[in-house]
Amino acid sequence: MSSVIRARDVRKSYGKGRTALAGVNFDVAAGRIVGLMGPNGAGKTTALKAMLGLTPFDGELSVLGRNPQRERDALMQDVCFIADVAVLPKWMRVEHTLDFVAGVHPRFDRARAEEVLAKTTIKLGSRVGQLSKGMITQLHLALIMAIDARLLILDEPTLGLDLLSRRALYETLLNDYFDHERTILITTHQVEEIENLLTDVLFIRDGQIVLDATVDSLSTRYAQLTVPRERLSDAVSLGPIFTREVFGVSALIYDTAKGAAPTREQLSVLGELRTPSIADLFVALMQPADTRAAS
Amino acid sequence: MNFRVMKTLIERELREHRALIWAPLITAIVIIGTAVLSSTVSGGLQVSIDGDSSDFMAMLSADGEHQRAVFSVWMAALVLPQMLIAMIVVFFYLLDSLYTERKDRSILFWKSMPVSDLQTVASKVLTGLVVVPLGVWALSLVTGLLVFLVASLKLAGTPLAPLAEFHVGAWFILQAVTLQNTVVASLWYAPIAGYLLVVSVYAKRNPFLWAVLPPLLLVIFENAAFDTSRVAGFLVSRMTEFFAAVSIRNTSSDAATGDALQSSITAAYDALGALELLARLDLWLGVVVAAVLVLLAARLRRWRDDA
Repeated sequence: MSSVIRARDVRKSYGKGRTALAGVNFDVAAGRIVGLMGPNGAGKTTALKAMLGLTPFDGELSVLGRNPQRERDALMQDVCFIADVAVLPKWMRVEHTLDFVAGVHPRFDRARAEEVLAKTTIKLGSRVGQLSKGMITQLHLALIMAIDARLLILDEPTLGLDLLSRRALYETLLNDYFDHERTILITTHQVEEIENLLTDVLFIRDGQIVLDATVDSLSTRYAQLTVPRERLSDAVSLGPIFTREVFGVSALIYDTAKGAAPTREQLSVLGELRTPSIADLFVALMQPADTRAAS
Repeated sequence: MNFRVMKTLIERELREHRALIWAPLITAIVIIGTAVLSSTVSGGLQVSIDGDSSDFMAMLSADGEHQRAVFSVWMAALVLPQMLIAMIVVFFYLLDSLYTERKDRSILFWKSMPVSDLQTVASKVLTGLVVVPLGVWALSLVTGLLVFLVASLKLAGTPLAPLAEFHVGAWFILQAVTLQNTVVASLWYAPIAGYLLVVSVYAKRNPFLWAVLPPLLLVIFENAAFDTSRVAGFLVSRMTEFFAAVSIRNTSSDAATGDALQSSITAAYDALGALELLARLDLWLGVVVAAVLVLLAARLRRWRDDA
């Protein structure tokens, strides 16, 4: 089956000089859980908006085989989107959000949404504005879970939520929503929180994709070496992409796919070798180019 | 366009903008309340129950046709304030309808549903120009009946008792005329509605100022630069001509003699309909302009970037 999302040279700039997307290429296959990560202003939200047909762009982008610029309305039958907790209309009553989605969405199963809501403390008669942020997220999730969609896009879904609500959100997603046929694309700053959930990562920086990999492939490609101070210069001479010092111990990250990269055997004599966490890798790859070269 | 989707969208409009329902209801309650409390027969017909009305009564007793005319003018006068209030509420509704969704970011929720921008904008046009006006028409019908009931109880046994006769035929004709006026009003004011939607989708803040200031500045500029007031004349005529077409001139209380009274009631009765506006080219040009503005509003909403 073809890609769920296929981007080829997608570009977008706002006004003069401010480039949000500078020729983005990537593919997302069905049944994956992809983390789209990048610092503020890297182009994450613009990329999502382009996929959702919320903003015009140049280049070629297809989502579920459709062009989001021209076919947004039809596309939204198969795509669900949670921006963040603030977007459910505050004046609406919970039961009316169900009425609304039932009225406009041909793939919505109202009974299913009510079943999900019944497990929560949310009352059908409450107004959205009276619910806590965590409850609003639960409500939105209940609506989404009752829609038979193929792609779910989450943009900073846990913004402003407490730890319990964040955990609950991701647990529900994994246990009750994800079925290995649906595809989920998540953007977030809180990389640590989702790294155990992802199957793929897309790192975006300055409008360009700097890493597009499956999580499984990261352990063969990247290595993190921990060395005591006296071996630091040896380790640095092997060309790490990132160096960090904590409590007198240095952690260096190497990209073994690079041309002159050292072998694992060369590294393991210097210190302890393991796979970097996605968060560490994120920090390493998001350093501005000049500081990385210096380290 | 899918009927179920449109029904859902319109329901949402009425739920979000409660004033569309409450304001006409409160107006109706005030009108009925006034009829109950006042010492006159309320409505545009200011006939004092105890006052000197011998000419008037003489004419009424003599002529059943005039009784019917007075009845119609009276019932019609009750409708006008309800229409006016509804128009004011719809004005603010349209101005707000595509602005608040961006301000509270709920637009991202609406846009996550398989509903096109044109459907969304159309639901607002239909709410403002069809659903609310028809609702107000139906409400004015009930209001008129209740006011008549109150008045006829008060008039029973007074010299004005002939006024308390219910003219079924005239009543049905009046409801048809009012319904027709409602339709004409929606057509006549459609370009203003389209303009308000465009302002609503465009304004970054304060849509009211965006709606009012540009035409006002244009009027001031024209006046200063050319010493003319064509823009002002055009705007005022567009805003007032509907009411000019349906207003009841020379109400019977001014009439001193039976003849003058007779002609003024007849004139008022003839003036109840706004059908003359339908024959005017500028009404239909306005409808075309409205359609263009609605498409423009939908187009602008498509790429409105706020989050």
